[in-house]
Amino acid sequence: MNLISRPTDRGRQARVIKIERILYPKGLSMEAKAAMKLICTGILFSTLLPVLTAIAQAAPRRIEVTAKRFEFSPSEITLKRGEPVVLIIKSADVPHGVRFRELGVEVRTGRGEASEAAFTPAKAGTFVGQCSVFCGAGHGKMKLILHIVD
Amino acid sequence: MAKFAALIVAATLLSLLLVALIGIQVLGCKADPPSRSETAIMNWIKHRLLVRGKDDKNPLNDSVADGKEAFSHYCVACHGLDGQNTGVPFADRMAPPVPSLAGKDVQSYTDGQLKWIIDYGIWPSGMPGSKGMLSKDEIWSIVTFLRHLPPAGSAGSPEMYSH
Repeated sequence: MNLISRPTDRGRQARVIKIERILYPKGLSMEAKAAMKLICTGILFSTLLPVLTAIAQAAPRRIEVTAKRFEFSPSEITLKRGEPVVLIIKSADVPHGVRFRELGVEVRTGRGEASEAAFTPAKAGTFVGQCSVFCGAGHGKMKLILHIVD
Repeated sequence: MAKFAALIVAATLLSLLLVALIGIQVLGCKADPPSRSETAIMNWIKHRLLVRGKDDKNPLNDSVADGKEAFSHYCVACHGLDGQNTGVPFADRMAPPVPSLAGKDVQSYTDGQLKWIIDYGIWPSGMPGSKGMLSKDEIWSIVTFLRHLPPAGSAGSPEMYSH
């Protein structure tokens, strides 16, 4: 095992020394070395940026719904089963909320504020969310339809 | 035959009601407490004829807390936090007076009938209909709450009457 790994180790060491020579040539001052390090870090991050963006895009889908007496806008949303989402309820007037009794999901928000809830739809079907904060004469008719598809 | 007899009784009661209504016209429209017989007749008519939904079943169980919250939106203004008029200053000044929801007259309705009453209200009492103002689930949860009312006076008075 050792016999096999030794040449590889030696090879790696050689490579490391080579890279160090390129990055930090002999005879450079401390300041220059520091500057080199900074530039290298910069290059590294700029190459990573697209990767980081891709990771951010893979984060839960965010769906914003505006609540206004006495309707949600949009009033219907379609989600994919198993795909994590963040549901944001933004009030355009008085305090509102939405509750999907069957899914155990509820978001409540204050006057003119926005609140959110993260969840992953586990079952397919059509679910009706009701406004969960009493908001006046049309409160009982304020519905948000959620379609969950496979 | 029994049906025919029931029809006769209903017709008689309705004509009595008509006479009573004409009587009200003659006597004026003061909100005096109704007489015992008037109450008894109206109760019978409401339970047997006017209030529908007798066979509708409550689809929600375990919704007492939801019902308590839904009840607090505006029902408490007339019925009090305990559903027994605690702290409601005008409860016995209405005609008919606001009933105790824990009393036999109300509790003897079926769940479906209570839902119907909350949906459509009761004319000509002060009870309004809440269909559309409250969601179906909220109304059913109120029915559940009505079956689990707290002891009279234990929930305090509605905030609006304490300042």
